[in-house]
Amino acid sequence: MNGPLIVQSDKTLLLEVDHERADDCRRSIAPFAELERAPEHIHTYRVTPLGLWNARAAGHDAEQVVDALVEYSRYPVPHALLVDIAETMDRYGRLTLSKHPAHGLVLTSTDRPVLEEVLRSKRIAPLVGNRIDPDTVAVHPSERGQIKQTLLKLGWPAEDLAGYVDGEAHPIELHEDGWALRPYQKQAVENFWHGGSGVVVLPCGAGKTLVGAGSMAQAKSTTLILVTNTVSARQWKHELVKRTSLTEEEIGEYSGTKKEIRPVTIATYQVLTTRRKGVYPHLELFDSRDWGLILYDEVHLLPAPVFKFTADLQARRRLGLTATLVREDGRESDVFSLIGPKRFDAPWKEIEAQGYIAPADCVEVRVNLTDSERLAYATAETEEKYRFCATTATKRKVTEAIVRRFAGQQILVIGQYIDQLDELGEHLDAPVIKGGTSNAQREKLFEAFRQGEISVLVVSKVANFSIDLPEATVAIQVSGTFGSRQEEAQRLGRVLRPKADGHQAHFYSVVARDTIDQDFAAHRQRFLAEQGYAYRIVDADELLAES
Amino acid sequence: MGRMSHQATPPRSLAEALRARDDASLGALLRARPDLITPVPTDLTQLATRAGTRASVVRALERLDRFALQTAEALAVAAEPASYQVLLGLMAGDEGDPAVTAALPRALGTLREQALVWGADDRLRLVRTARELLAPSSQHPSPTGLGPTVQEATAGMSPGRVQEIVATAGLASTHDAVSAVARLTKLFGDRKRMAKLLAGAPAESREVLDRLVWGPPYGQVTADPAARLRWLLDRGLLLPTAPGTVVLPREVALHLRGGRAHRTTEPLPPPLEAAAAHRPQVVDATAAGQAYTALATVEELLKDWDEGGPAVLRAGGLSVRDLKRTAVALDVSEPVAAFWVELAYAAGLLASDGEADERYAATPDHDEWLEQPAAERWSRLAQAWLTATRTSGVVGGRDAKDRTLSALGPGLDRSAAPEVRHRVLSLLAGLPEGTSPSAESVLARLGWERPLRGPQPDEGLRARIARWTLSEAELLGVTGRGALSTQGRALLGAPAPKAPAPEPEGPGDKLPVHHHAPPAAEPLSPAEQATAAAAAARVLAPLLPEPLDHVLLQADLTAVAPGPLKRPLAEMLDVLAEVESKGGATVYRFTPGSVRRALDSGRAASDLHAFLAEHSRTPVPQPLAYLIDDVARRHGHLRVGAASAYVRCDDDALLNEIMADKRAAGLRLRRLAPTVLATQADPATLLDGLRAMGLAPAAESAEGDVLITRAHAHRTPPRTPPEPVPDGPPVPDATLLTAAIRAIRAGDLASTAPRKPTATAPATGGELPRTSSAETLATMQAAVLTGETLWIGYVNAEGAASQRVIAPIRVEGGFVTAYDHTADEVRTYPLHRVTGVAELADD
Repeated sequence: MNGPLIVQSDKTLLLEVDHERADDCRRSIAPFAELERAPEHIHTYRVTPLGLWNARAAGHDAEQVVDALVEYSRYPVPHALLVDIAETMDRYGRLTLSKHPAHGLVLTSTDRPVLEEVLRSKRIAPLVGNRIDPDTVAVHPSERGQIKQTLLKLGWPAEDLAGYVDGEAHPIELHEDGWALRPYQKQAVENFWHGGSGVVVLPCGAGKTLVGAGSMAQAKSTTLILVTNTVSARQWKHELVKRTSLTEEEIGEYSGTKKEIRPVTIATYQVLTTRRKGVYPHLELFDSRDWGLILYDEVHLLPAPVFKFTADLQARRRLGLTATLVREDGRESDVFSLIGPKRFDAPWKEIEAQGYIAPADCVEVRVNLTDSERLAYATAETEEKYRFCATTATKRKVTEAIVRRFAGQQILVIGQYIDQLDELGEHLDAPVIKGGTSNAQREKLFEAFRQGEISVLVVSKVANFSIDLPEATVAIQVSGTFGSRQEEAQRLGRVLRPKADGHQAHFYSVVARDTIDQDFAAHRQRFLAEQGYAYRIVDADELLAES
Repeated sequence: MGRMSHQATPPRSLAEALRARDDASLGALLRARPDLITPVPTDLTQLATRAGTRASVVRALERLDRFALQTAEALAVAAEPASYQVLLGLMAGDEGDPAVTAALPRALGTLREQALVWGADDRLRLVRTARELLAPSSQHPSPTGLGPTVQEATAGMSPGRVQEIVATAGLASTHDAVSAVARLTKLFGDRKRMAKLLAGAPAESREVLDRLVWGPPYGQVTADPAARLRWLLDRGLLLPTAPGTVVLPREVALHLRGGRAHRTTEPLPPPLEAAAAHRPQVVDATAAGQAYTALATVEELLKDWDEGGPAVLRAGGLSVRDLKRTAVALDVSEPVAAFWVELAYAAGLLASDGEADERYAATPDHDEWLEQPAAERWSRLAQAWLTATRTSGVVGGRDAKDRTLSALGPGLDRSAAPEVRHRVLSLLAGLPEGTSPSAESVLARLGWERPLRGPQPDEGLRARIARWTLSEAELLGVTGRGALSTQGRALLGAPAPKAPAPEPEGPGDKLPVHHHAPPAAEPLSPAEQATAAAAAARVLAPLLPEPLDHVLLQADLTAVAPGPLKRPLAEMLDVLAEVESKGGATVYRFTPGSVRRALDSGRAASDLHAFLAEHSRTPVPQPLAYLIDDVARRHGHLRVGAASAYVRCDDDALLNEIMADKRAAGLRLRRLAPTVLATQADPATLLDGLRAMGLAPAAESAEGDVLITRAHAHRTPPRTPPEPVPDGPPVPDATLLTAAIRAIRAGDLASTAPRKPTATAPATGGELPRTSSAETLATMQAAVLTGETLWIGYVNAEGAASQRVIAPIRVEGGFVTAYDHTADEVRTYPLHRVTGVAELADD
C-alpha cells in the first residue's frame, strides 16, 4: 500500500514520478490510460472508454487493467471503478467486423441483444444489409468506416478483423548509413505494424517522418502520404530520398501546382478538400492506385472531409502521425475509429531526457501597454481587441532586445499579423516570409537560414507546420492564432530539433499584460506546461534593463 | 442449563407446563416473546393466558424459522395430543429423513421454549390459538396443502350415506355413524390396507388423487360426477364438503404422501454461498478506503449546505430537485445521495433549523463531530446507520396515501430495519474472514429465518432492506468487496467466526430447552453499542490514511495533495485554489480568480508565499509565485465603498480646515482624495452641518450641477380636480327649453280641455298647486278624516308633472293611498312627489 499511483474518483490516475516504482507503473498503465498532464512531480493519466477500448484493441484485457491499478495504487481502489472498467472493456469486441467467404463483410455478435440494440438504431440501419443468421448481418463494404464510427458513438465499438489488402507492392528500403532508427522510433514502427493501423504520437522534432519512412519500408508497397501543405510535402520528399531507397522519380507530388501520381505520392490536405461545384474533384487520387499504406501527417489537423474519405479506405493500412491527439474540435473519437487506436506515445520529457530533442527554456515576457495604448485598448471593438494588444509597439522593443541578446544564433520571429511582421522585419533588418511569399522564395530563404547566411527570419503562420529549420535555437512568438494550443506546441517544436552543438533552445512568448493576449497565452501554454515545459514569466522592464 | 424441579404428574395445561419450567427457561421464553411481560403478568396462569392470545401467538409464529414453523404446522394437522413419533412421522415421512430426525428436536425445542407447544413427548400439544391459526380449514388453506380429517368432513353427512361408504370401502357396517367414521379413519391410516384398496382403483381415479395430493385438496364436481370420481366418492376417498365441491380427506392425502405433512422440509438453514474470497487485508483496506470516502462525502455534503441548506418542504423532507442538486454536487446517483443525507440526519449532524423559512442546516453536533479523529467520526456514522429505523431505500417510493416519500421527510421509518441490518451483518460475520456471500444466498437465508410475511403490507420488505443493507454497508465501508471488514465485525460486537449453535441435549418436556441464540444475533444494548463503536474505531484508525501536511506544487499551476490533508491546510487550499479532482488525492488548480479569493479573505501576497513555501515539498514554481504577485498587484487597485454624500472643493486647505474642526466630528467625514471628503450622513444633514460651521456649501445634483435652493414647497403628484356632483339636472339649453315649453303647452291644453265632471279643473289653470310638505301632509291627513277630495300636483318617476284629483284613504310611511278620480282607481303616491295640494274649490 505504498504505490506510486493514486486513483481518483473522476477516473484520473495520478502518478508520482519520483517514486521508485514509477517507471514500472507507467509501463503498466500506459496501454489503457491517456497521459493528460506531465508536469514535474505528478503525472495525470485519464482512463476513458476510448483508452480502455484502445487497450482491448491492442490485446489487453480487463484483468490486466484492474491488476495494474490494484498493484500500484497507494490507496484502495474504489470497487465501483473497477467494476466500471471491467464493464466498459467488456463492451469492446461484442461486435466484430470480419470477412465472410460468401457474404463479404459481415458484422457478427457474440451477444445477440447487443446486435439487436445496434440494428435498431436509425444510424446503423442504412449501413447494413441482410441478416444472414441471428448473430450475423451483412455490411456494405463501402460502409466499413462509417459503421465503425457509428458503433463507437453508440458505445459498442466493433473489433475490425476484416484485414487489409496488401496493395500494389513496391520495393522500399531504409538507407541506414551513418544513422539508424532510434529505439523509440523502431518501437513505434513495430507497434503500428503489429496493430495494423493506428496513430503514433511523438513530440515535434522527435523524428515522426522517420517513423513514416520505417513503416513504408515495412509495408513495401505503394504509399499515399497526406500532409498539411506544399512546403511540408517537399520536406517529406527530401527526407524520403535521403533516408530510403526511393528516388526522386518514384515520389510524386499532388498539390495545387503539380498533379503527379507515382508509387509514392505526397498530397496536401488542401488539394484534397478543394471543392468545385459541390464535389471534390481530386478524390480519384485515392482510387488511382492500389495503395498499400496511407500515411496521415499531423493527424490532429486532419480536416473533416478527409475523415469522410478515410471512412472509405478501411481496407488499407493507415498510419497517423501527430505530436498531440488534442484536437481543438474534439474529434478524437473519429481519429480512433477511422484511422485507428493510439499505437505508441512517449512523454516529451522522456525523449528529451534521452537526448533526442533539445531541452528548451520557455519564457513568457509580459509587456505593459503604454497609457495611451491602454485607453485605446479599452475602447476597441471586441473583435479588434486581440489584434490591438498583440501588436503593441512595446513588443517590438522587447523583440529587438531578445534578438540582440542572442545575436549570432539562429532566431525565428513568429507572428500572426502581417503589419506587425513587416515592421519587425524592417527594424530587425530580416526577411519576412508570409502567405504572399512564393514557394521558390520561401525555399531560398529557408536554405539561406539553414546555411547560416541569414540569422534572423520573420515568419507568419505559414511556417507553422512541418518546415524543418534544424539550426533555429531561438523562437520569439509575438502573436498567434488566439488560444490555439496545438499552434503553441508546433511553434515550440521549431526549436526542439536536437542541436548539433547541444545548445539549449529558447522559446520566448511576448505577451501584453492585463489583456486578452495574456488570457490566450495562458490557454496556449497549458498544453506545454502539462507536457512539463514550464514557462518562466518575466517582466519586459526587467528584460530590457538586463540588455 | 439447570434441570428443572422434578414433577411426577405430567402437566395438564400450558400454565402447569410453565410452572414446571425453571427460571432460565422462563427467561428464554420472555426474551423471545417480550410482549408477554408488557405489562408484567401477576402469575403464571396469567402468563399462560397471555401467551395464548391471538396477537401474541401470531407475533411468535411470525418470528419462527421455516423449519420450526413447518413443525408447528405438522403438529396442527396431527391429532391432539400427538406423540413425538407421530410428529417425526409427519415431518420425515414413512421412509424417514436423517436430516429431519436430527433437526426436529431443535425445532420442537424452539416451539416449547416459546410456549407454543407444551406437554411431554408422548403428549405434545400445540397451544390452541396456534392450532386454530395453522390447522387447515376451508377459509385458511394450510401451507401443508392438507384438507380436513374424515371425521370433520363427514360431520354433516347422513348416517345412511356413511354406512354406504363404509360398505363400499370393504368394511363391515357398524351400529352408528361415529364408529363407522372411526373405522374408516383407521382404514385410511393403515398403509397396507389402504394400498390394497387403492390398488383396485381405476387409473383415472388415481390421477385425480395425484392432482389433489399436494393441495389444494379441494376439487369441483358436477351434479352427476364422472365414473372416476364416483369410484372415489363411493369409497370416501373424496368427501363432499358443499354442493359441487369435494375434498381429499387428510388421512388419504397423508397416505398418498407417504406420511409427510410437507412436500419438502427445510431442516437446515440454506448455507451462505461464498461469491468471492479476498485476502482479509484487502477487504479491510478497501473498507477503510470507503470509510474515508464516506467521511469525505458527509463532510462535503454539510459543507455544501453550510451557508443555508435546501428548504424544508411543507410536508417535511427534501424536494426532489434539491436531492438532484445534492446528487450532482456529490457526484453520486440520487438514491446514494439520499443515503448520505439520511445518514447525516440519523447521526444527528444535520436537521431542520426550525425557522419560519425552514431550511436544513448542520447541527452544533456537526462541529463537534468534525473535531473528532477520523475513525471516531466513522464509527459514529456507522453506529447511527446500524440502529436507525429510517431507511433511505424507500425514498422516491410512495406511501399508503400515494404521496412521494422524500429524503428527510416523514414515513421513512421501517421498524424492521435495524434488526435486518444486524442480522445480515451477523450472517456475514459468520463467514470466514474475507469471504463475501452472494446476495441471493443471504436473502434465501433470511427468508428461511423469517418465512412468514411481516406485519408490513408491502411484500418482501425484509428482502429489500437486506439488499439495501448490503449496498449501504459497502458504501459506508462496513464491508469491503462484499466481505465484512474487521472494523465492521468490531462494530457488531462479534469477536470471531463462531461455531454453530449447540444442539439441544435431547427430547423431553422435562428438558428445559433454552439454547440461546449466539450473541451476534442479538442486537446490542446501547452501552454495548458504545463499546463496540469504540472498538471499531480503534480497528479502523490505523487503516485510515494519515492526514498530510504538505502538497506538491507544479509549474502547470496545480497542487497535488497525495492524500488527505490536515484540516487547516485543506481549508486554506480550498480558498486559494480550485479543486479539480478528488479521490485518494486532491488536485488543486490555482487561477487568478482563486488567488484573488484568497486575497479577498484577508491574506496578503506575502502570507500566500509563506504558506506555499511552508507546505510544499518542492520549491514554489516561478509561474505560481508570479501569478500571486500579479494578482496581488492588481488586487485592491480599485476601491469600492458606499457613501451617501460627499464634499468636494478645489481648495485643499479648506478641506483640511473642515477635517480639523471639532464640530465636523458628528458628520463622520472621510478624506478620499485631497479634494474629496465622503460621509455616511445624508446630503441635507451634511449641508446643515457645514452651514453650522459657518461655511457656505452648495448642493450638487447627480449630474454635478449646482442645485438652486429655494423654500421648500410641498407638492402632490399630478392630480385631477374633483368632478362636481350636481344636485339637480343641468340647466337646459334653449332648444331643450323650447321643446319643453311646447310639450308643456300641449299638456296644458289637454288638461284644460273639457273632462269628466269629477275632475274639477284647478282654479289657477295649468299651474301645479304648490304647498310646503308640512302643509301637504296636514291637508292630506285632514282629508283622510273628512273624506274630502283634493287636487294635487304630482311629478312621476320620469319627472313628468301632472295634476290629479284624489280622495285620500290613508297616509302612512311617506305614502298616500287615495282614490284617484283622474285615473278612476285607488293608487299610492309617494308624498315627496306631491308638489302641492289644494282643496277643490266648491263649485
